[in-house]
Amino acid sequence: MLLPNLSIDRIIIHQVYQRDQDGTKLPPLQSHEYTIFAHDAMQTFKTRIVNALGNESKAVQMEIVNQEPDYIPSIVDTIVDQNNDSFAISSHDIAKKLTDAQHSRSIPGGIIVVFDGMYGISQKKYLGIIKAEVHSGYEKEVNPATKEISLKFVEELLLTPGTRLYKTAGFFEKNGYNVPISGLNDKWIVMVSDYQISKAEGKAAAKYFYSDFLGCGYPQTSARTTKQFYESAKSFIASLEISSTQKIHLFNALTTYLKVETSSTISASEFAERYFNIDTQDLFTSHIEESGLPSTAFTKDIEHIESKLKLRKVQFQSKIKIIAPSDTFEELVTIQTMEGDPDESGTPVEWTNVIIKDRIIDQE
Amino acid sequence: MNEAEFKEIWESDKPVYDAWGHYILKTVTEALEKRGKDLDVFLKVPAKCRLKDDKSLIDKAFYRDGKKYSDPYNEIEDKVGIRFIVLLIDDIHEIYKIIEDHEDWDFTTCKHFEEDRKRDPLLFTYQSVHCILRPNKDIVYEGINIHRSTPCEVQIRTLLQHAHAELTHDAIYKSKRAVQPKVHRTVAKSMALIETTDDFFRDVTNLLNYGPLEEHKILEKLNGIYSRNTEIESHTQKASIIIWDEFEQFIDEHLVDNIQAMLSEYAFLSETIKKRYNDSVLYQQSTVFFVYWMLKNRKRRLLEDWPLPRGILELLAGDLGINISDV
Repeated sequence: MLLPNLSIDRIIIHQVYQRDQDGTKLPPLQSHEYTIFAHDAMQTFKTRIVNALGNESKAVQMEIVNQEPDYIPSIVDTIVDQNNDSFAISSHDIAKKLTDAQHSRSIPGGIIVVFDGMYGISQKKYLGIIKAEVHSGYEKEVNPATKEISLKFVEELLLTPGTRLYKTAGFFEKNGYNVPISGLNDKWIVMVSDYQISKAEGKAAAKYFYSDFLGCGYPQTSARTTKQFYESAKSFIASLEISSTQKIHLFNALTTYLKVETSSTISASEFAERYFNIDTQDLFTSHIEESGLPSTAFTKDIEHIESKLKLRKVQFQSKIKIIAPSDTFEELVTIQTMEGDPDESGTPVEWTNVIIKDRIIDQE
Repeated sequence: MNEAEFKEIWESDKPVYDAWGHYILKTVTEALEKRGKDLDVFLKVPAKCRLKDDKSLIDKAFYRDGKKYSDPYNEIEDKVGIRFIVLLIDDIHEIYKIIEDHEDWDFTTCKHFEEDRKRDPLLFTYQSVHCILRPNKDIVYEGINIHRSTPCEVQIRTLLQHAHAELTHDAIYKSKRAVQPKVHRTVAKSMALIETTDDFFRDVTNLLNYGPLEEHKILEKLNGIYSRNTEIESHTQKASIIIWDEFEQFIDEHLVDNIQAMLSEYAFLSETIKKRYNDSVLYQQSTVFFVYWMLKNRKRRLLEDWPLPRGILELLAGDLGINISDV
């Protein structure tokens, strides 16, 4: 999500608890006061939000599923226009919703931060929700006399940079929509950052947050976006000024990334960082962004490209083709460029040396 | 005009010549400062305006061997003089250009070492630039009327040329005695050496100071953009130089246009810079635009090679809404 010029207006924090031993939910502890951060603390808080939801973050876009008044999307739609008194009360309703959604005893408690403000070039509204789990750590202490340091144990730490310890959701007002809206998806873009979403088989663990709590679901456009990513990455690799052999490796990598990897999300930066050098990484992420694809992660759905991913094809100028199942291509086919005989002008032409680690069983 | 009349006119004209000299000195030094020169550094000897002393003026007008003036008072043009002494040949050109371009005077160049070299390529002798400046209309400076016929001689030379002149001026150029050929030869040898050294100085300075940043006038252009957008002057400091050094490969003729395009999209950045002016020195320098551009377009290279503490990048990335925690 592009989040330039993000400002934070109101922040209020409530406590949520783990269910007790009998599985009974404990009501959240309500705060009545807004949190006022000092300059540096506010800057760090903003950095956390940008890192969770901003450009090249791991956040994925979600779709609003539950439009009814009692669900979070409707509450968000109302709360952003409320005055401070009502906002404080409504934010507690959000905390109650989270408590309801945390139906398993395995889900830890923590705090819920509800905040709003403006973002973007045309300064639209947004509402953010962070659920942060409490963890422990150490604080540095300096002995004033000796200047030596020691560590003091801190049992309850919150909002440290490790993104595994908090989940973030952002409802961003769209820039330009027709009124009246036919549904909340017309007005709001929902971004959810939750490390469990991108993990293989992580959707189930993450479901309580994005679905039960936020009333959202995976976007129906994932298959189309995945296909666009595939096409855009292909054209990028093809345009690189590298040898055909190197391109073959990259096409193999792209196929593996989309077909074999168990992660349920795709991210241009993740792919780039794994397979390209630093300067090409920057060019790739810019290329993907310019193709109109999300600058964050997005949910993977290979439905539209499944058949393409099954086969790897290499085509030569003279219409010779090599077609192979992508599963075994890398293992059984070695393709290398080599220097061929000189052409009429005396310049050696490029030939290709192909080794197929198998024997021929049929030919026409 | 006899000697007594000469003295009398000179005595009454002195304040006029002095005013004209001071006017030129002020005009040229102000122009240098406007170009960002620190005079204490740029001028290797403080520039002063000096009236010729009576004795040597009379001497020149009436007793000098070899040169007879028909109208000595008007023909002697160095009754007042200013000397600028700089480190490099290119610095001479800079002052010469200021004099050449100024509208308040007419000037003639009566000596220019580069012309001398062309005319007498085999000769190694006294090198300097001498110009004679006269007001192109009568002017009033500090209450004194300066007539348009008033000349002032401006000399411009490098420190090494000056050293040569100091050694030889009285001993040889003005000497009334015949000088030994060996002395001439040695002085000519030292001039050849000085000319060579001045060339080397220029080469070194060019190598040190001239790169793509200068070639494309990046800092000048960004400073302009910075002051237009924020209404604050940019202060280029060491931090900027370190950053440009590290990311020189991204400097090309399109860079400023690309940064401009980013700024027209993200117009709020100017306000952000003003708001954050005291959060980091980088916000006070126009190089901040380049770092924003890098964050948007070459984030990973920027983070990989960033030569300063990373905290500042987190601030800037936050302004743009870009996550840099995973890189």
